[in-house]
Amino acid sequence: MKYTVKIEEKSYEVEIEDIHARPVIARVDGQRFEIHPENGIKPEATQETRFIKPIELPKPTASQTGTSRELTAPLPGTVVEVFVKPGDEIELGKVVLVIEAMKMKNSIRSTRAGKVAEVLVHAGQTVAHKQAMVKFE
Amino acid sequence: MNIAELIPELLKGLLNFTWGNAVMITAALVLIYLAVFKEIEPVLLLPIGFGCLLANIPMAGMTAAEGMMGVLYDAGISTELFPLLIFIGVGAMIDFSPLLSQPKMALLGAAGQFGIFGTLILAILLGFPLNQAASIGVIGAIDGPTSIFVATKLAPELLAPIAVAAYSYMSLIPIIQPPLMKMLTTKKDRLIRMEYAPKPVSQKALLFFPVILTLVVGLLVPEATPLISMLMLGNLLKASGVVDRLNKAAQNEIINIATLFLGLVIGATMDAASFLNLATIQILGLGLIAFGLDTVAGLLFGKLMAVLSGYKINPLIGAAGISAFPMAGRLAAKVANDEDPNNFILMHAMGANTAGQLGSVIAGGILLSIVSHLV
Repeated sequence: MKYTVKIEEKSYEVEIEDIHARPVIARVDGQRFEIHPENGIKPEATQETRFIKPIELPKPTASQTGTSRELTAPLPGTVVEVFVKPGDEIELGKVVLVIEAMKMKNSIRSTRAGKVAEVLVHAGQTVAHKQAMVKFE
Repeated sequence: MNIAELIPELLKGLLNFTWGNAVMITAALVLIYLAVFKEIEPVLLLPIGFGCLLANIPMAGMTAAEGMMGVLYDAGISTELFPLLIFIGVGAMIDFSPLLSQPKMALLGAAGQFGIFGTLILAILLGFPLNQAASIGVIGAIDGPTSIFVATKLAPELLAPIAVAAYSYMSLIPIIQPPLMKMLTTKKDRLIRMEYAPKPVSQKALLFFPVILTLVVGLLVPEATPLISMLMLGNLLKASGVVDRLNKAAQNEIINIATLFLGLVIGATMDAASFLNLATIQILGLGLIAFGLDTVAGLLFGKLMAVLSGYKINPLIGAAGISAFPMAGRLAAKVANDEDPNNFILMHAMGANTAGQLGSVIAGGILLSIVSHLV
């Protein structure tokens, strides 16, 4: 979807691929930007930006809030792959590990950006629903 | 024997080769290609493709009554043995916990069978007799063994196109269902998160479920007993926890051997003379309509449940109510996950999918019961 955004009398052509994807990929006058809306401070709507229709995003559940210091299992299953280790700086939305449940592989993404403090699970381990898997600093 | 008599004998394969055989051998090679290079349902498409290849080699004799395919047909298809053996394996692979912890998912399994009856009416309008129309309708559940079981009893002359349609559409689920899912649900619907919080299911419940269901369905719809009982036998092997060897055998050797021979024999029924006709094209078309109607009915019912629950149920799980276990369940979960990478509705979709598996077996039994009394 294309938008025209006017900032300080200058107009910008902004093209957003999918507002629900994380990060949101936006092209401003041909230049590509990756945006993590949940990380930033919500900007006040100005006279110029008010015409953009607000889009309702799914509300994160308790286990998926971006402020939690733990990444928990959204479903029970077996961890088959772990892609992070302590000390890694990870972005919001990065695939952290894969849980296999009912013979289907599910990519589990980070619900916040930050530095990994501890990885509490390993490949082959069975996890219960809401079990903590990764701790952030 | 003089030379003039010998040459036709030596060349009888080529002399009896028809353009129809060439078309069917091409179809067989396409099936083998899809299985090997695209890995689309290889376990099914590879033996079906090879069986089709054999059926179109003239004068080979393999499909004659005393040939290998003829013997296997009589042993495993006419007797309905192969689909039933496959169901022992399918039962051992099914986990009924998601359904037992969310019994309302059973409604989606019932809604997902609407297309069977809708297509039955359509097939009658196209001029198919009731027994054939009922067999064609069952394709909609995309449940190969049930389709074969019903067709063998009601319309064995249509077995080949019905089995080919059921198994081909099973491999096309990821192509056929997503457009319907997107058409009948809004983005807001697809983003509905369903927190994984089913009630814990006791070991006793898992153990009693297959026994009680066999008795209840068997007493209410006796014609469904062979299918439901073998499905539940497999599940009991798994749930009991005391016959690990048998459970593993059901999930591996038994289902694998039965699938190999069933695929070969179904492929071997695809000879040009009996397969290349208008009825086959009509059956493939009607099967597709049945599949579409089943998916639409499931999705619309899912949507109704979403509204009634105050948008706590993601209507995508309705599409898993058709049967096609476990592909349809995984696909519904994948579509929701593609829309929102933090949304996991797998358990709920599998609940609807296992309900769909039971629904298609029961619907098949009901059709057998009604139609065999009417024709």
